[in-house]
Amino acid sequence: MGFPVSLRVDDEDVPVARAADAVFAWLREVDARFSPFRADSEVSRYDRGDLERHQLSDDLVEVLDLCEHYRLATGGAFDVRLPGRGLDPCAVVKGWSVQRAADLLTAAGAQRFVLNAGGDVVVSGGPWRVGVRHPEHADKLCTVLELTDAAVATSARYERGNHILDARTGHPATGLLAMTVVTPTLTEADAVATAAFAMGAEGIGWAASLPGCEVFAVDGEGRVLRTGGFPAVRGSTAAA
Amino acid sequence: MKRAVPVVVLSIAGLVPVWRYEPSLGAATSTPEAAPTPSASAGSASGTVVKGTTIRTEKGPVEVQVTFDGDRITAVRMLQQPNHPQTTAAVPKLVAETLTAQSADIDTVSGATITSEAYKESLQAAIDAKGA
Repeated sequence: MGFPVSLRVDDEDVPVARAADAVFAWLREVDARFSPFRADSEVSRYDRGDLERHQLSDDLVEVLDLCEHYRLATGGAFDVRLPGRGLDPCAVVKGWSVQRAADLLTAAGAQRFVLNAGGDVVVSGGPWRVGVRHPEHADKLCTVLELTDAAVATSARYERGNHILDARTGHPATGLLAMTVVTPTLTEADAVATAAFAMGAEGIGWAASLPGCEVFAVDGEGRVLRTGGFPAVRGSTAAA
Repeated sequence: MKRAVPVVVLSIAGLVPVWRYEPSLGAATSTPEAAPTPSASAGSASGTVVKGTTIRTEKGPVEVQVTFDGDRITAVRMLQQPNHPQTTAAVPKLVAETLTAQSADIDTVSGATITSEAYKESLQAAIDAKGA
């Protein structure tokens, strides 16, 4: 579950180094406990049958409940148990754990910060300007958001290729080029972005219909579909 | 009787996504329409009632009961449905736009930046380098 993490804290009276240490210690702990790539993680032990459901930590139960929620909500397109593969809840663990990390910062007294974990973003105490990477040009943006307290997650297939599978077919999801979701928490934003991406084109309407969820999607033909309330900076998007 | 079979299969196949999908769209109050056509054949009047599994949605549990008359679905009823104002909300209107490539002064970048190689080439790395 390795991903680059960037943290900016602008509060002057907050011991930033200590807060940052707590964030990175938590994310390392999450990797040790929930990585399906570590044989001794709780996830791997549960998947092998070494642990029973009632022996799981509250955290893993919460994660698995979220996974099940999104599996049902997407009609099975999003599934952390694919046939022939081990249990892989990374798609939910990432957003959930980074939101927890942001909560740690808030608890430490930070009021104005940006936490970016592999392109999934939590901002606090804005205004912050958050660019969304263009799906076809790594050095360009396709829109810019202005946010105060919010989370932004983007799922796309430009980096690792077609790595998100539609569990209904077992094949890579190719209906969308990119899916950006803005919600109050990254737990929801990341899970919704991944789940909608797995659904393909129908995922746009699905994500847009969720309460408090703003969407910016680039479909397979490179067209943008976004919700009316998507908090883009005026002039950073172009009417079709 | 032979002709009826594909029809039934189709109605069931058509209903499954409705049960599974519609609650997540926040429109669970709309009971799926089942044609309550009286059986043309002189079959038994008492139908078979099948209770579906409860589906947990964000708005609450949804449970559907289906009544069969022979191979025909005669009624679909919501046994349990979320009591939430959102369930009556319409599907939101989406705005269509053209995809633009732009540069701007920003604080951070959202994107699927999963590998460290991609990070090194990313706009976020440039922002981090500037701040460090």
